[in-house]
Amino acid sequence: MLKQPRSLLQNAFAKTLFGLIFVYLLGHLAPHLTASSSSIVSNLNFQTLAYAAEDDEEEEYEEEEEDDEDGEEESAEEEDLSYLTDIGPAAEHEFAEFSFLGFSNRKFTWFAAQLHILFASFILGCPMFVVIMEVMGARRTQGVRKAIILSNVFLAILIGVVIGITGEVIVGIHHGVLYGLWACAFGALIVSFLNYFHRLMNIRASALIGAAFGTLISAGLTPVEHYEVSGIMLAVINGAVGGLISNGIMFARSDFKFERLAHEITKVIGICYSFTALTGGLFLFVMLVAYKDFITYLIASFPTLFMVAYPTLFILETVVMYIYVYSWDPLNKANKKGRHIVTGIILNVLGLTLLVALDGPATFMQTPTKPLADLLTISEWDKISNMAWMPLNYHRLVGNGTFGGYMVCIIGAYMYLWSNKNEEREYYDWVGYIGNIIGVAIMIPLPAMGYIFVREIYQYDATIGMYIMSDRESMFMLVQGLLVGTMFSASNIYMWVSMKRIENAQRFFPAMKFGFVLIIISAAIWFTPRRFFATMLPEPGMNPDMVLPDNLAFLALMISKNTAAFCLVTVTFINYIFYTIATKTGKVHYGKVNPLGPYVLIFLGFSDIWLMSWMGTIRELSRMNWHIYKVFKDVTPEKFAPTLAESGFFVTTIVWTFFILMTAIIWIGIKYPKTKATKPAQEAAPQMAE
Amino acid sequence: MKIDMIIVGVIAALSGLFALYSTFGIAGAIAGLAVIGIYALLLQVKLQKLEEKTFFQNIRFKVPIILVLAGILWVLAGKFNFPVWWQIEFVAFALVGFFFFTLLDWKTLKLEKSNFDWTIRILATYALASTIFIVVTAQLPQFDPEFELSKLNRPPVKLEGLAGPEVIAAGREVFENNKCFNCHKVFWEGNSDRGPNLGSKQIGLYPAAYIKDQILSPRRNQSPGFDDPKSKKAMPTYYGEDLSEDELIALVSYLKTMRDPTRMPIEGKFGQQWTWWDDKDIIAEGQQVFEGLHPQAEGLNCAVCHGKDGIPMMTGALDFRNADNTDTTKIEGDHTDKLLKDWPDALWYRRVTRGVPNTPMAPWGTIFPHLYLWKAEAYARTFHDPLEKRTAKRPVPAVPTKEEIEKWQTDGMFMDPLL
Repeated sequence: MLKQPRSLLQNAFAKTLFGLIFVYLLGHLAPHLTASSSSIVSNLNFQTLAYAAEDDEEEEYEEEEEDDEDGEEESAEEEDLSYLTDIGPAAEHEFAEFSFLGFSNRKFTWFAAQLHILFASFILGCPMFVVIMEVMGARRTQGVRKAIILSNVFLAILIGVVIGITGEVIVGIHHGVLYGLWACAFGALIVSFLNYFHRLMNIRASALIGAAFGTLISAGLTPVEHYEVSGIMLAVINGAVGGLISNGIMFARSDFKFERLAHEITKVIGICYSFTALTGGLFLFVMLVAYKDFITYLIASFPTLFMVAYPTLFILETVVMYIYVYSWDPLNKANKKGRHIVTGIILNVLGLTLLVALDGPATFMQTPTKPLADLLTISEWDKISNMAWMPLNYHRLVGNGTFGGYMVCIIGAYMYLWSNKNEEREYYDWVGYIGNIIGVAIMIPLPAMGYIFVREIYQYDATIGMYIMSDRESMFMLVQGLLVGTMFSASNIYMWVSMKRIENAQRFFPAMKFGFVLIIISAAIWFTPRRFFATMLPEPGMNPDMVLPDNLAFLALMISKNTAAFCLVTVTFINYIFYTIATKTGKVHYGKVNPLGPYVLIFLGFSDIWLMSWMGTIRELSRMNWHIYKVFKDVTPEKFAPTLAESGFFVTTIVWTFFILMTAIIWIGIKYPKTKATKPAQEAAPQMAE
Repeated sequence: MKIDMIIVGVIAALSGLFALYSTFGIAGAIAGLAVIGIYALLLQVKLQKLEEKTFFQNIRFKVPIILVLAGILWVLAGKFNFPVWWQIEFVAFALVGFFFFTLLDWKTLKLEKSNFDWTIRILATYALASTIFIVVTAQLPQFDPEFELSKLNRPPVKLEGLAGPEVIAAGREVFENNKCFNCHKVFWEGNSDRGPNLGSKQIGLYPAAYIKDQILSPRRNQSPGFDDPKSKKAMPTYYGEDLSEDELIALVSYLKTMRDPTRMPIEGKFGQQWTWWDDKDIIAEGQQVFEGLHPQAEGLNCAVCHGKDGIPMMTGALDFRNADNTDTTKIEGDHTDKLLKDWPDALWYRRVTRGVPNTPMAPWGTIFPHLYLWKAEAYARTFHDPLEKRTAKRPVPAVPTKEEIEKWQTDGMFMDPLL
């Protein structure tokens, strides 16, 4: 039995929370963070190369210039400055600046929006993960097998879309998404259905039947004039994958660990749901204060969405979510697990619909439907289905899946550290392992999704793409490369650390070390930029010589980056194979992982959330001085891009806030009920066979 | 299980090799094979049970190895002309490697004895991650937001009341704001060689209407050497919608300044370039100009004096058939001892555009578009250096430096004062 906490300060959770808040405040309350990060304070005393050396001189000049400007004001009175505000609905804009503890209008908005997206990603990403885990943990009763048909199709749609889009991007297969989606879904459907009554086929036959049936259906449903071999091949692969996963899941030996994992995460989802709503409200209020003209215009541009679709979906999702959370034990006890799984799938469908619906206005801000002159006359649907809409849907779908995996890592790591009993430690050690595998596996296609998103943006308006890749956001992208390298590295380090608790696994260590050499080389290549100044052309104070010579420029081109990414993914995959072989051939001592393991998982999760927030920052800043690109101009004083240093610090602040809240939520959702229990917790028991 | 793994491994390895071969050719495939070979060898190593190392044992070999490696990387990067920041980057990654391998061999951490232990460790983990990200973002090159702000607050381009140099400056701003530098270099300046270097190509030689058409309908005339499908789609087609008429005029005015009085125009992608001296299409067109048949250069007929077949029709006219001919001595202070076959491009250009005083060789540059004069020169060379007998193309000259370009202006090498 666990010891009861005797006082607040002895309570482990309270200590952690106090500690986190203390460090957070220390970092965050660095006074007077200004909007411009040319000051030393906002750079946290790590002054930078580009123009830092000239700061002192500039300050002197600035003072002189201010005097001059005063003198010029009178003469400039009659000057026509309407060009600053004469763009569209911004014409009558009256702007009020607010400032509090270094937060400005933009930073308030940035903070609220990012926090909202992080919680929203949790409640959208984790339910996908939870339903699959629930299926894996459920005994294969008649009702469960019925539900598995549906869950297999749901999973197959997700996997089919991801493989399809990857084929479309990498191989250039026309309508790859549709081929992937239909083939995988129907392959899964037929195999699940045929295996429902009896085990009709083994794993190879499932792949074959899935491939044949999926290909036939997808060929009929995909609107192409001529069939191409590549498309058919993609359909065959997807159909086979659909068949394989269906067979695998249908006949998987139910493991109660999965059920427990799903149930525990669901408890956290419930609390996160409230935080999503809270931060969503906060975001809206902040927008109404900081950017009221713009948010009014945006909402008015999507009347049906914001007045009907969004509230309806939100209410429905809330209802289904609470049914899902609170019906877990009752339905288990009533032997109705299948119904609970179906509820979970409905929850996911609603969640994804909500995500897709809100991606409409989000992408409309970036790529409003052309021709812009017709914006007032086109339908709301036309505005939603703009060029970047589907790519962002794919990107967020996969990104949320990765997010879910890494959040499970963090939950596993926290709970491992908070557990005293061996059985608990064994279990949470396993949870961390599962979270890492899923996080990394889903992260592998993520670069392809990012690529297709940016490709659409380039096609829409290359200026935005260039702003991201070659201009003021180029160094931001460099940091992204560094983060991806860090995450792959941390994931592999975790595999290494956790293999030390597997008997006879050390035979793979020399090869794995070689893999780490490859990882470092790949990360270095991914990180290598074409130039070491932060804009397309050197601006005053920058060193124009910091450019790679032409004969070495290939190191900074996509050809090298892709090879580096391929290498990172391959080494990770190879290490995963080593890990899998080791677990099959040697005993795994769960609960005895090197204590370094949980901290690596926490580091990994932190990096993932940081990267996600960073990419959000890049996407928002890429609109430059436009709220809606070339439609609604940003005429506020903060229309410029903040520096890398300022953004890095602010994103860290947001991520700390999220982690403090998540630490509290994990404690309240999972740990606290355990510490309160006077007898062994009454976990959901496996249901009886029907 | 084992067989399945081997099959998956072989397929993955073959796919990887194919990908490397398609990207980097034989060298890529060999590198891939080497990686597979090393993996295969290392999997044969029979490792004894892992022994825990103390911190000193852990780093005693790693420190000297990493120091040597970092030194080698620094020197090698310098030898390959990597600027200093790349040298620092490579050494930094070597240190990251040191950190990695130290961590891998780190002895098993002690179990937390109290809640305080793991609280500190969790905080340290967050602090480590935060410190890395904050330090990296603070140390990478920054830009000054005020500079962007000043650009954003600048009024849109209006040409009314502006004079020549101001229009050109406004055009340069349009060029920058629309991020043309991302794909087009202008001589030494710019971001990549995705599109033609507009300076080396000397886009300014072309008529304004042609340049404007290239901006508005970039698919109509593809620049030589950029005929691949990717390049054909690269130039956006929306500038007609985005740019105002004033901006377009200013942009064309800026592009018209892109000329080089010292080099023949250069075509093609970086690494596969050629000069007009070796361009058969240009030479064919040059022949038309030379023989007075080109409709765009009506009135210009080099053959009248120099002869259609290269045999001079007039006394004193340069005989292009004789590769060892010498330069004129009729221009005071401007004479070279170089033989015709060794004449620099600048001399060809100067003689044709400025002429030879007191001879029928007029300053044709004041009369005809220089575009056609360069073409005629490319043809004239073929009299002593026939295209079909050339075994190699003339070397593509280096891109002029900023100082060199400034010198053209101070030395008055352009006939147009705005250039």
